[in-house]
Amino acid sequence: MKKFLLTIGLVAATMFVANEASAQIKAGEGQVSIALESNNTYYTKDQKLIDAGIYIPGSQDSRTKGDFGSNDYLKVDYNLGRFSAGVQLDGYLPGLFGYDIYKYQQRDSKMTAFLSKYVQWEDKNWGVRLGDIYDQFGNGLIFRAYEERALALNNSLAGGRAYYNFNNFVNVKVVAGMPRLYDVRSSNWVYGADLALSISEMTGWQNGILSLEGSYVGRHQNDAVEEFGMIGVTTENLNMVSGRLNLEVAGFSFRGEYAAKLNEDVYDPVMPAKKGNVVHLDLGYNYKRFSVSATFRRQEYMTTPIEMRPLSIGGGNSMNYVPLLTRQHTYMLANLNPYRGTSIFTGGEIGGQVDVYYSLRNKKARGKYWNFHANFSMFNTLNHENFGMEFKSRNAWIDFNFDIERQWNKQLKTTFFYSFQRWDEELNHFDTDHADYCRSHIFVGDVTYKFNKKHSLRVEGQYLVSGDYEGDWVAALVEYNFAPKFSFYVSDMWNWEPMDENYSYASEKHELLHYYQVGATFTHKFLRAQLSYGRNREGYVCSGGQCRYQPAYTGVNLAFTLTF
Amino acid sequence: MKKMMFLMLALFVGFSASAQSMPDVKIENQEGKVISTRDLVDGTPMIISFWSTTCKPCIMELNAVNDNLYDWLEEVDMKVVAVSVDDARTLSRARAMTQGQGWDDFVCVYDKNQDFKRAMNVSLTPHTFIVDGKGNVVYSHSGYTPGSEQELFEKIKELK
Repeated sequence: MKKFLLTIGLVAATMFVANEASAQIKAGEGQVSIALESNNTYYTKDQKLIDAGIYIPGSQDSRTKGDFGSNDYLKVDYNLGRFSAGVQLDGYLPGLFGYDIYKYQQRDSKMTAFLSKYVQWEDKNWGVRLGDIYDQFGNGLIFRAYEERALALNNSLAGGRAYYNFNNFVNVKVVAGMPRLYDVRSSNWVYGADLALSISEMTGWQNGILSLEGSYVGRHQNDAVEEFGMIGVTTENLNMVSGRLNLEVAGFSFRGEYAAKLNEDVYDPVMPAKKGNVVHLDLGYNYKRFSVSATFRRQEYMTTPIEMRPLSIGGGNSMNYVPLLTRQHTYMLANLNPYRGTSIFTGGEIGGQVDVYYSLRNKKARGKYWNFHANFSMFNTLNHENFGMEFKSRNAWIDFNFDIERQWNKQLKTTFFYSFQRWDEELNHFDTDHADYCRSHIFVGDVTYKFNKKHSLRVEGQYLVSGDYEGDWVAALVEYNFAPKFSFYVSDMWNWEPMDENYSYASEKHELLHYYQVGATFTHKFLRAQLSYGRNREGYVCSGGQCRYQPAYTGVNLAFTLTF
Repeated sequence: MKKMMFLMLALFVGFSASAQSMPDVKIENQEGKVISTRDLVDGTPMIISFWSTTCKPCIMELNAVNDNLYDWLEEVDMKVVAVSVDDARTLSRARAMTQGQGWDDFVCVYDKNQDFKRAMNVSLTPHTFIVDGKGNVVYSHSGYTPGSEQELFEKIKELK
């Protein structure tokens, strides 16, 4: 609690600072900019969660490190013309409960900080960066170094990057470095090169874009053959290649990528090492206010760890990016059971998704319109072998959803959302030869009413109908906004009619367990702060196509960002 | 650790203040061509708004700006730059969405490697900046509450 009060003190102090200092800071001829992001939770004891058997003290998913967690990021950059340099200090004091970084810290039970830094020169046609590198080749299928704070992931490379662009015809890029694994630096090397040729620029074709691209990425792990030769690793140097074609003409767009992992690689230390491959296709079309976007992907054993060593757990141990492609929902109940992918158990998946958007607008009354959006996604497992058993391809996930948004006038806006989701519950836990399909229908109504330029009210009502899995759920949210500084909200969701594991309604009278939240947001100049209190359901938190398991907890959360 | 952060903050407050100019990094335009962020600076004041397909308040804010745009343009010369920070996973959805939401009066750019986001020190979206005709950042605001778009308009008017 002390730490939590200290944090509140820090916010008060920084607010004072923000009020006193002006927005931008000049140091000599150059400029300094600072951004601080801090997420803090004080965990409170919740007897109801314990009584319901949802939070089990002392279990694998319980907290072991006190009542406080904090993920903090302080970034300071200096910029002078084409030159820039910066540092970022990440503090996990300790990390928030449920993040992979927390599990990492648990092993040696300490708070950790990580300092990253860079210097960069960005010229007109070329650039060099030394220090921590964030970059990706194509879709990131063989290489992506990036930061995802919502999941506390950062796999930036400590090393160098250089690129040269010749007349927009040719772009060459090289990178090399040692990846970051949570709060430590891996001793493995990752290196690669990327070449992009713009055919349309070379030939002077004006009506569209045509480009060809190719990449190579390698990873070196000392003693890899010695440690993993038993399960099929044959070299210390893993090699991956990718080829891409991009075409845009007359409202149509096509982007295709094929990538392959050329050597056997460990994706699970108890399974045989495998080579991998992936095909990724994007198709798009737009005409006026109508647009369609479709994605297809087939991937097999493509998730590539930074370290093959067995202790390197979680989504942070990845040097490439093979995200889930289903729609990431924003409404609470639509996110209750998100698709988490099947490749962790079955090695791969095949599927795709389609989005259709249309906006119906009145040219005279700009404040009145309809926006329509529909989305469909479906993923299947691949025919594969596991522990010597053959498994046939089968459906793992379907989601059909649409939302209709209507701006009636300057005051009133309504949204109706519907989603049908079907998933194979077996595949969420094991690789088996029989399916256990669960289905749910989710309905949401969302109404915003603006009383005047400053005051507005937003109300959400949500209902989930399901004859299996957990039965029906209800959720509601009320938000009152006082623009531009304050916003207050209260929400609740609960399992209306819980089911037992045989999908029949629980016969005993049950006590409803409410997952409530109450909170306030404050924005002023360079500060944005949010204070909330509530009970959080166990489940999967997804961001950017990756998910992490969040055990249930109750607590007070204070999050703030500060930018100078 | 906290002390260290606070010290660093306190240290930098000592610097003198002036308008910050927009950093120069590479992003993609609607057609997928790589452009420099400095190319956006053309003498017209602009609202630069960072958004993503999974950020509902961002989309609300951009829709609200879009609803008011013609009224605002009657009073001031300005443009709106919508910067999608969607990565490879949702990039094609973001492109489709800008068309299908009727944002055709916006300059839509794509920051799939998040270089622009990092250079502008954006932690959470929505984050909106006002940049004058010379490329100086004169105002920034993070988060969206319905009605706060009026503040953007007021700030743009002050640039006249």
